Amino acid sequence: MAEQREDSAVLKTSEGGAAPQGGVTVEQEVGKPTQVKGDVAKSGKESLLGLLGAMKVEVTNKKKLKNLKAKQRYEPAVKPNPAALESTISMFQKATAESSAHSETLDPDLVAAASAAASTLPNQSQAESELLRQLRRHEAVTEAQRKGDMSNLGVIIADMKVGRRPNRQNARPANQIRFDDDGQGYTHDRSITAELDGVRRRRNLFSGKRLGIFSPTTDEDKTPPPPAKPTIWDVDFANHLVLSTNQMPRNGFEEMIQWTREGKLWQYPVNNEAGLEEEASVPFHEHVFLEKHLEEGFPSQGPVRHFMELVVSGLSKNPYVTVQQKKEHIAWFRDYFQQKTDILQEADVYLN
Amino acid sequence: MAAPVRHVGHYINKNSRFLLNNLDQLRGHRGFGWTTAVLQQSATAEKEPTESTEAIVIPRKKTWSKEAVLEALASTVNRDPTAYKYQFQDDPYLAPRTSAEFKLFSLSQESGRSAAKYFINSNPKFFTKDFAEPHIPCLMPEKVSLLLEEVSEEALKERISLRKVKAAVDMYDQLLQAGTGVSMETTHDLLDLICLYSDREPVQEGGPETEDVESAEEANRSKGRIRRASDFLKTIWRENNNAERIFNLLPERDTHCYSALIRGMIRHGAYVKAFDMYTDMLNNRMTADVRIFNALISGAPEVREKYNERWDLIAELLNQMNQQKVQPNLLTFNSVLKALRRCGSLARTQALHTLSEMKALGIAPSLASFDHTLAAFYKAASPTQGQTDLLQEVMSELAGSSFTCQDPDDVLFFSNVMRICLDNKDIELAYRVQSLVEAGENWRLLGDSHQQTIYYGRFFSLLCMMEHIDVVLKWYRKLIPSLYYPNVQGMRDLLQALDTDSRLDLLPTIWKDIQLLGHANKSELIEELLALMARETHSPEVQESFAVCALDVKSVFNGDRGTLSLEWSTSALCHITSLLLRAKRTQEAWEMLQLFKAKNRVPSEELMNEFLLECHAAGAPDRAVELVQLSAAFCLPATPRLAQQTLKDFDLTDEQRAALSELESAGEPTD
Repeated sequence: MAEQREDSAVLKTSEGGAAPQGGVTVEQEVGKPTQVKGDVAKSGKESLLGLLGAMKVEVTNKKKLKNLKAKQRYEPAVKPNPAALESTISMFQKATAESSAHSETLDPDLVAAASAAASTLPNQSQAESELLRQLRRHEAVTEAQRKGDMSNLGVIIADMKVGRRPNRQNARPANQIRFDDDGQGYTHDRSITAELDGVRRRRNLFSGKRLGIFSPTTDEDKTPPPPAKPTIWDVDFANHLVLSTNQMPRNGFEEMIQWTREGKLWQYPVNNEAGLEEEASVPFHEHVFLEKHLEEGFPSQGPVRHFMELVVSGLSKNPYVTVQQKKEHIAWFRDYFQQKTDILQEADVYLN
Repeated sequence: MAAPVRHVGHYINKNSRFLLNNLDQLRGHRGFGWTTAVLQQSATAEKEPTESTEAIVIPRKKTWSKEAVLEALASTVNRDPTAYKYQFQDDPYLAPRTSAEFKLFSLSQESGRSAAKYFINSNPKFFTKDFAEPHIPCLMPEKVSLLLEEVSEEALKERISLRKVKAAVDMYDQLLQAGTGVSMETTHDLLDLICLYSDREPVQEGGPETEDVESAEEANRSKGRIRRASDFLKTIWRENNNAERIFNLLPERDTHCYSALIRGMIRHGAYVKAFDMYTDMLNNRMTADVRIFNALISGAPEVREKYNERWDLIAELLNQMNQQKVQPNLLTFNSVLKALRRCGSLARTQALHTLSEMKALGIAPSLASFDHTLAAFYKAASPTQGQTDLLQEVMSELAGSSFTCQDPDDVLFFSNVMRICLDNKDIELAYRVQSLVEAGENWRLLGDSHQQTIYYGRFFSLLCMMEHIDVVLKWYRKLIPSLYYPNVQGMRDLLQALDTDSRLDLLPTIWKDIQLLGHANKSELIEELLALMARETHSPEVQESFAVCALDVKSVFNGDRGTLSLEWSTSALCHITSLLLRAKRTQEAWEMLQLFKAKNRVPSEELMNEFLLECHAAGAPDRAVELVQLSAAFCLPATPRLAQQTLKDFDLTDEQRAALSELESAGEPTD
């Protein structure tokens, strides 16, 4: 739904192309407080401008915004905006926080935008200097984070003066601001939700200081550990886990799923040859053409041979017995007749 | 000639591609006159965009799991809130209606299954014939008795796999005495076995009937948790047991041996020893593995007293872990957080730091991590001034995800979260938790029936407290009794909610539910119900239904249904009587009055007044006189006034007047 909203917003802005429309759509989105965690591709400057547009400032500012927009090089993309923020200063801070530039120095557009924003405030020079300072500070923080060097970050933060609001100083973890490496010039930002709570609090849960004991390993460093044989401890742990959760089936289908896992039920869709995998590899002619086993050990004529041919004929029609069992059957007969050779010779039956 | 050529041309046009392919052969073999025409046609055909033969991509064959069909079918079925749990859908007589019945029936099902398994395993000679095609291994008798008797490593492995601790140790000793070496792997397994069970025999799971009955009784005592009896025995690590002895005898000890011992010691309570063994290991310059560290961290609060000392020990362990290049896993951090619960005020900050660390390392926190963190912030007794910020963050973090159980403590998450919502009276958050429970397979993580009861109980009380009665009743029908059998407190909350929203007309239906749930013998519940019914006068239909209900309650008290009869209390009697009176069931009300005398209870003054009024309305002076005499028999202080009123209002005979005036005067002198 968020994407649809953004698309409709994009359509509107591309059609109108003027700042008031952008402001209108922004205000509409203000009314829908949903939490959008998606990736919104936008330019850093655009986010700042979008936020400023949400401020409902006088027309003069919008004219300046229009001018700034005219200079843009990127596709406009409006992102959902925060509804009520406590003070404009904090909003500026967030605005500057959400944007990030690619280079070490501040983007001149950002500076222009900051001065434009500051012009609406009563104390223009102070606000402008504060905005620029905040931008530079944020630059340093994001650069240090990009390098992945947390200790530098600590040094940088320690150098910063503690502002009125300690939230400003929190290092934003990498998942909130991701850097693009393909040089498109914009980053994926975490959208500010309409609820102030979500913004403020999400930072507190995961973006506090770390213990700083472990360092995240990269994939190259980490070799996959050799798969260990499950020890009795693991079996016990798994057992404990299974016992503590609720595994009872809620309906007949879930019960059948449990039975399938235990092996008590056919697997659907039913394969007629389930369980007969070894038999599949035995070619049929070994089942049917068993005369070759009669070649040695049995006389080639006479009642014994006749009997054995009947045995072989019966075995060849038997689908229930494996080939090995059939061979053993014939071998039993071979041994039997060889044991009884003297009786057969007495009866003149044993013709060799 | 023209027509055939045209026809041929038309034919060629239609089948140009086919002809083009065969054109070379044609040209090679024949030299007909119309080859030029063919060439012309083919030229035009070539001018058309020839469709290139598309590369046909054969899609990769999908493999489905063996349960895919069934899972698809199962996804079409929703839960039916009017049905009982699936495992009881057999005989309607055996459908559990109260929570006690539920526990009893589920325990009996389990014990039936394990009894059957026991019989099969102990008499394998009767179960040799295998009918199933293909073979079903789990229905065949399992090997429970030893086969190999000779002194060999195979026999030792067999004993280990059958989990016979003593036999395995004996076999090992015999092997050592015989001089044959035992492989390292088998030694590891042996040490694992001994340490897991702390040198005792494991309790047999498929034990005989008696053991199941015992476990059932124990389970009933501890609120009906279905558990093996072994869980209740806290085993102790004895001094100089076999594990240590074998360990000391080993010529070389590697990490696995240490790991087995340390984990066993921590599991069975020998914490100091475990830490000593760990320092021993460090002195031998060996690196520990992640499981050793997990065990040590969980045992850290036991070996230190002060909060900051505990935390220092944990931090030191983590640092050593880093130095030894052992990667932590989810269980490491979960044990850190669990240990932090016992570190007092340090828990809040450090828990958040630990969560950030987990995030930085890319280990997704499980429900248990959040549970421990929240426990540090929301203590059960202390109020948090309605601040549920951290919980809201956690909920937004978790919203919509589906979990599997990765830590045994995951199942405590939901009930604790609901407790926090209840303490802070936050109904919105409770709805979010409930939607998380209903997402995917998360309902499995509510745990066993005891945990489920706690969770739903808290949710229902919160609903009764905060929501309008229609919403409450909607949830009531959804949850009860298919998911949750409310206890007395839950029913009282429901009665309270009915009272708040003035839906007392629903009381008789609730009374029927109370009877179904088996709470009809709980006196305080009945008292409250009667008090609510009798408090005000309602419309006639409602009064009539109340009267029926009151008679029902009376039968419960009298033990008419075969249930244990309750002790009549004064208030109960009064309420029932007044309810009957209001519904104009005078005869029954009079019978109630006699019951007062029989049970030695004194009726209240209002009741007498009501009776008098009713008699006046019915125009029964005899009754009125009888009433006053009854009141005198009870030595009620209101007797003279009653007598006076009767004399005034009713037409009485002389003797009645005489009796009444006597009563009137009898009560006058003050003592």
